[in-house]
Amino acid sequence: MLSEFADKLQQNENVLQREAFGNDFKGMDNLAGNNKFQKLAPTIEMAPVSNPAEFLRAHTDDSKNPDCAIKIAHGTTTLAFRFQGGIIVAVDSRATAGQWIASQTVNKVIRINPFLLGTLAGGAADCQYWETWLGTQCRLYELRNKERITVAAASKILGNLVYEYKGAGLSMGTMVCGYTKKEGPSIYYVDSDGTRLKGDLFCVGSGQTFAYGVLDSNYKWDLSVEEALYLGKRSILAAAHRDAYSGGSINLYHVTENGWIYHGNHDVDKIFWETKESEKSFNNVIG
Amino acid sequence: MNHDPYSWGRPSDAMYGQYNNAIANAPNTLEHHSSGSNFNENTTRPIVTGTSVIAIKYKTGVVIAADNLASYGSLLRFQGIERLHKVGKTTVVGISGDVSDMQHLLTILDQLEMENNYDNDEYSDNVDELQPSYIFEYLANLMYHRRSKMNPLWNALIVSGVDSKTGKPFLEYVNLLGVKYASPSIATGFGSHLAIPLLRKLADSEEEAAELTLEQAKKGIKDSMKVLFYRDTRSSKNYSLAVIDKDTGIAYDNNVDVEDMSWKFAKDITGYGTQRV
Amino acid sequence: MSPQHGSQPIQHQFNPYSDNGGTLLGIAGEDFAILASDTRQSVDYSINTRLSHKIKVISPPVTKEMKLESTDIVGTKNSVLFGTNGFSADGDALTKAFEENWKWYVHDQNSNVETGFEFLNENNEEKESFMSMQSAARNVQHLLYGKRFFPYYVHTILAGLDEEGKGCVYSFDPVGSYEREQCRVGGAGASLIMPFLDNQVNFKNQYIPGTNSTERRKIEYLSLDECLKLVKDAFTSVTERHITVGDGLEIFIIDKNGVRSEYHALKKD
Repeated sequence: MLSEFADKLQQNENVLQREAFGNDFKGMDNLAGNNKFQKLAPTIEMAPVSNPAEFLRAHTDDSKNPDCAIKIAHGTTTLAFRFQGGIIVAVDSRATAGQWIASQTVNKVIRINPFLLGTLAGGAADCQYWETWLGTQCRLYELRNKERITVAAASKILGNLVYEYKGAGLSMGTMVCGYTKKEGPSIYYVDSDGTRLKGDLFCVGSGQTFAYGVLDSNYKWDLSVEEALYLGKRSILAAAHRDAYSGGSINLYHVTENGWIYHGNHDVDKIFWETKESEKSFNNVIG
Repeated sequence: MNHDPYSWGRPSDAMYGQYNNAIANAPNTLEHHSSGSNFNENTTRPIVTGTSVIAIKYKTGVVIAADNLASYGSLLRFQGIERLHKVGKTTVVGISGDVSDMQHLLTILDQLEMENNYDNDEYSDNVDELQPSYIFEYLANLMYHRRSKMNPLWNALIVSGVDSKTGKPFLEYVNLLGVKYASPSIATGFGSHLAIPLLRKLADSEEEAAELTLEQAKKGIKDSMKVLFYRDTRSSKNYSLAVIDKDTGIAYDNNVDVEDMSWKFAKDITGYGTQRV
Repeated sequence: MSPQHGSQPIQHQFNPYSDNGGTLLGIAGEDFAILASDTRQSVDYSINTRLSHKIKVISPPVTKEMKLESTDIVGTKNSVLFGTNGFSADGDALTKAFEENWKWYVHDQNSNVETGFEFLNENNEEKESFMSMQSAARNVQHLLYGKRFFPYYVHTILAGLDEEGKGCVYSFDPVGSYEREQCRVGGAGASLIMPFLDNQVNFKNQYIPGTNSTERRKIEYLSLDECLKLVKDAFTSVTERHITVGDGLEIFIIDKNGVRSEYHALKKD
């Protein structure tokens, strides 16, 4: 049954390659030299055991076995919401491997193209890899169809892809955010179970509940751009404060009909004290 | 092959999967029935095994040794099994671990040598003899490839020799995982705990090994083989010793015995088995 | 039946991984980058060897002219310093795979079908279109992610010069997530050295005296000498406190003159 699964992956791979190169492309089996770089995604190798997913888990699941050898970097609080002025995307920047803070400077927003953003939560490599891959798929779509891909279609490419790998051990919770004339500002939540949901407001990651708490209680459709940016930042700050697996700094984006605009990187330590001072909030903290 | 007296000559589970009681209505008392798989199993544990191989570099070559015993668990089953093998003109490969896998490796090394001989006889334009480094690279790739297929060759190998072009001594190790390294002295298995400290005392760096004489190196190896025979229950007194020298080539003796033993220390060891004192 | 008598067969699964210890460290300066590692290779409590190489200099050929300027040069300024730490067999395999990709890339970029395989551009000047660090990093991501479900058990660090000649360090997790950083430590000593480097390279938690911890010390590039001092202090310190680190320290420095290497002894206990 598992070899069937591997065959399926292989077939899927072939379909992707055929799409990329046209049906007459031959000799994909004997790649050498430059051809190697023309191939979009490598065939992903599975452990040659009867249950590869079980094997992968045994070696990489640090929640079940803190001593497991391979600790995969995980990312953590992300949010995106729609409002009258477009979409706000805000994320933290901490990556953890077990108890270890692997990085405080992770870029969890992937710029798929000037109109599309993808967020990163779960396995850092899974998100980074498949969302850049999604970027190439979107570009190919543009070249074939002479128009930009819709957010719905882009998120569906990603959703279908992860569904092909269901059960193999991918871990990702992502939001595909973008603006097209046809759709207006739209957000799709896609995760590694294959779930794909359209919505106005999502928080994803281990700190999601903390972010929801702030976001839900202050969210209005009629927020001004400035207010919306502040709310996005403030919600991630709440999560960074209470969730041990979130922190570092906050990256802010605003998606408009002219594409996304980056609103800077904000150090959590710095803005925490500033916020406490200006809002007279976080009164549980002395200092 | 199963060497347990009761099961001797009977089909092994490793080869045929677990016995199916249901087919002949056999009572389910003889063997514990786990949720056995019917997969064709790879080597998941060594069966008939050879113990340590040890080697050290000296000024103009390498000395390597391994005993001539193949054990079946704690049973010292086969004597006279040589585990040092000449490959080409200046290389000796020492193999520990599973003996059936070792024999598979020998078949492959034979083919490698034959292949090389076709292109490198006296009529060839560019003679390129097998060098120890070539053989090692080949074996290291083979070992890593097999581990990546989750079908390892359950061995640890030491490739020793001299490069016939440069005259430089060569000594490297690779095991069932594909982990490889070079060092002035190398030992596999139990030897890595017992022999390595003795050998490192002789030469802890390449510089020190380059000062070592053949006699010193040989004595170090012989003393180490003695200590291994004292303390490794799966070792034998009879062993093979090879010297690969850049000037004199390979000198291989397959019938060396551990000499000048003293078991005086044995009477002081108490607390084991049925011993009461 | 197994050689062990009288007991139930032991469920024995082949474990294709081991941990060979060691530490790898990369620092990027303004116009140089450093990649350093210890040279011990160990498994469990045994030291396999005191001299193994975890870093590979992947470089175009070093010409005679370059050798004239400096004799200890081991690579050109277009080199990629490639370091792996963790399970050494996987590390060696990954290094080999990348090196092959790098070579093919250089051939494909530089070879001119019209003039044969000469490394010349239209002005008859030597063309320098080697793999950029950015491309090298993306290629390594693909190599690592290609084994997403049977991972290479390695922490990978690349060091080199970017297209503006600035020093750069890229670090990777075992399955290919990566980031460009000023400094990064991988392997056994990561938890001991990384916090130290956060403080000394990125000036984390350093404030200007007299400002009551409100004004942070401004980040500035460290000089090569300062970086080398940090590297040596980091390795001698981690050698004191970690059992799998020691024996020797190998440092590679890349700048506009090419790659140099240094070796320093570490404690052998």
